[in-house]
Amino acid sequence: MIEAKNIDFYYGDFHALKNISMAMEANTVTAFIGPSGCGKSTFLRLFNRMNDLIDGTRLTGECLVDGQNIYSKSIHVDELRKKIGMVFQKANPFPKSIFENVAYGLRVNNMGDKSFIRQRVEESLAAAALWDEVKDKLKKSAFELSGGQQQRLCIARALAVSPSILLMDEPASALDPISTSKIEELIHSLKKDYTIVIVTHNMQQAARVSDKTGFFMLGDLIEFSDTKKMFLSPEKEQTQNYITGRFG
Amino acid sequence: MSRKVSQHIAFITFRLLGSLVVGILFWILGFIIYKGISVISWDFLTTAPTDGMMSGGIFPAIVGTLCLVIGSIIFAFPLGVMSAIYTNEYAGNGWIVKFIRVMTNNLSGIPSIVFGLFGMALFVNTLGFGDSILAASLTLGLLILPLVIRTTEEALKAIPNSFRTGSLALGASKLQTIRKVVLPMAFPNIITGLILSLGRVSGETAPILFTVAAYFLPKLPNSIFDQVMALPYHLYVVATSGTDVGASRPIAYGTALVLIAIVLLINLLATFLRRYFGKKVKTN
Amino acid sequence: MKHTERELSALKEEVSQMWRLVISQVEKVKQAYFSGDVEVAREIASREKRVDAFELKIDSDCENYIALFSPVAVDLRLVLSMIKISSTLERIGDFAEGIARHVVENECNKIDSALLEELQMEKIFDTLITMLSDSYVALESENTKLSGKILAKDNEIDELYNKSVDILTSHMRANTDFIACGLKTFLLIRKLERIGDHCSNIVEEIVFYVDAKVLKHGGRENAKR
Repeated sequence: MIEAKNIDFYYGDFHALKNISMAMEANTVTAFIGPSGCGKSTFLRLFNRMNDLIDGTRLTGECLVDGQNIYSKSIHVDELRKKIGMVFQKANPFPKSIFENVAYGLRVNNMGDKSFIRQRVEESLAAAALWDEVKDKLKKSAFELSGGQQQRLCIARALAVSPSILLMDEPASALDPISTSKIEELIHSLKKDYTIVIVTHNMQQAARVSDKTGFFMLGDLIEFSDTKKMFLSPEKEQTQNYITGRFG
Repeated sequence: MSRKVSQHIAFITFRLLGSLVVGILFWILGFIIYKGISVISWDFLTTAPTDGMMSGGIFPAIVGTLCLVIGSIIFAFPLGVMSAIYTNEYAGNGWIVKFIRVMTNNLSGIPSIVFGLFGMALFVNTLGFGDSILAASLTLGLLILPLVIRTTEEALKAIPNSFRTGSLALGASKLQTIRKVVLPMAFPNIITGLILSLGRVSGETAPILFTVAAYFLPKLPNSIFDQVMALPYHLYVVATSGTDVGASRPIAYGTALVLIAIVLLINLLATFLRRYFGKKVKTN
Repeated sequence: MKHTERELSALKEEVSQMWRLVISQVEKVKQAYFSGDVEVAREIASREKRVDAFELKIDSDCENYIALFSPVAVDLRLVLSMIKISSTLERIGDFAEGIARHVVENECNKIDSALLEELQMEKIFDTLITMLSDSYVALESENTKLSGKILAKDNEIDELYNKSVDILTSHMRANTDFIACGLKTFLLIRKLERIGDHCSNIVEEIVFYVDAKVLKHGGRENAKR
């Protein structure tokens, strides 16, 4: 369960997110859509504190994960990021073997011994629907995989450290339709164990995979409602203009 | 004039200029080999000079150069790599970092003779190391430090940020990210930079002039506080101020050939290591 | 205007044309019924083919639009409602043709004008025509204010239909020769009542398109509030 309360976010003087509040239920898929630069990715990155890496940013408001403010002083960022996995737009496997890629998170977090790691790697690859494709070449470089496989490897890598939340930043935007549909299928099957938040430029994708959709524009959350409602009868004119392509 | 013709002319010009560069290189190499190959022998490589350097070998100079190379690397490599990691990974983009960068660039623009004088003043006299391998290694280390920092920084910059964020997003700390992801990926390029600076060190004359080089010392060093001969300086000596410059000319060419061969070998090693680590990084 | 919007307005224009055709069919069938004009009735039957052609054309245009443009929100609702409206209009056209046949067969066309008065046949026809043109206006102007009025008119027709059962029963009881024509007249009124039902379906589609409220199956109560 994720909750944002009155979030305002600034890059220097730029007001990137304006008084945003929303709640995301556990075991649901929430999609953020909106034109480029609307703040949807920035908002997503708040939840694993990736924005901390950028200089000159400022945040007010509260980000609650399971009732705990993740920006409070008692929170350990590394621990938080273990709990909240992230998948990026471009597949970014490490220049290591397939096995080591998935094991990476376990190793840096000192989670378990050799046999545990081996078991967890297999589980994660299976959960990411990649095990059957790579089980005979775990020692091969991750770069030998196709783009879609690499992205699923990155998902497996994120799953390995047992997060409860998975943030996805346009996970299929660089993939062909077949790989895209595999990722979407995966999102569907992961929903029962994870809370998923996905940013996407592809509105049909948001419509296909998500339970709820938030529409952002110029740093405002214009509308946040059930995906079905959003794509059949949105409440706000701006939303309608955007999703029907009449924007601008 | 048609576009096709002008394109043709441009290509021919570029090709000529390209061959010119290669031609000059081969000419120099050929000249040195032609003049120097006659004195190269096992004895030449393994014995000390005799007869007022008009005969005998250059073994002490080879050993001296190797000592200086190794010494300066031991000093410059960790320092350079670590400061590059600091400026590139930790320091952000404040004015301090910019200042450090400008200073690093300035450092690389200082003539090497100035490094020699500085080394003499600081290491030889003030710190009391005397003319020694240690003093010269530190001086040479200072000389190549900017090069090491620059190449390491470039190597680190070449690593896309997505790998860092990818690692951090899995709960890895910054140090873990640098150690386990960034450095292994940057390693081939860092090694290349390092080895290029080795080539530079092995050929420098001015900084060792006041800090270590012996005019004539036909024995091997016992400790880092000993003086040694070094190839570039030995070459300078036999070519300009030997007891009989004319008679020792072949020895000068032989020395030059050995020096060039060492630099070439180091560069080859660089290429090989780069390939090797490049592959290792991808499959490991 | 974007090309997707042009496609949509072309689609809407087709539905409007079909609609005008169907309204004129109903108007003509009223004329034919009261005047017993067989020629007009034949004309209606032959123009029914054009109504059918419209429906096929609109159907395939809608299918293409969905396949090619993946419409969402208001566009999706428009296309969906166009499919349903065109098939409903086609049904209305069928009923008009059925009534025209009734006129052509002629046996029972000339029934007692007092009975026609009692059945309020003219009112039924007129109410239907008003409903059809009102809902046409509602779609053209994308205004759903008329919907309540139109739906209320459908209730009026239902009442007249219910009354006609008693009226025709008592007539048939009094005059057994009238039974055959009485049944046929009842079927005719039944057809008119069905046109009214279809017309209110159309109104519901328009409301769904414009206001995104589903009125069907009890949703109507919510809409009224």
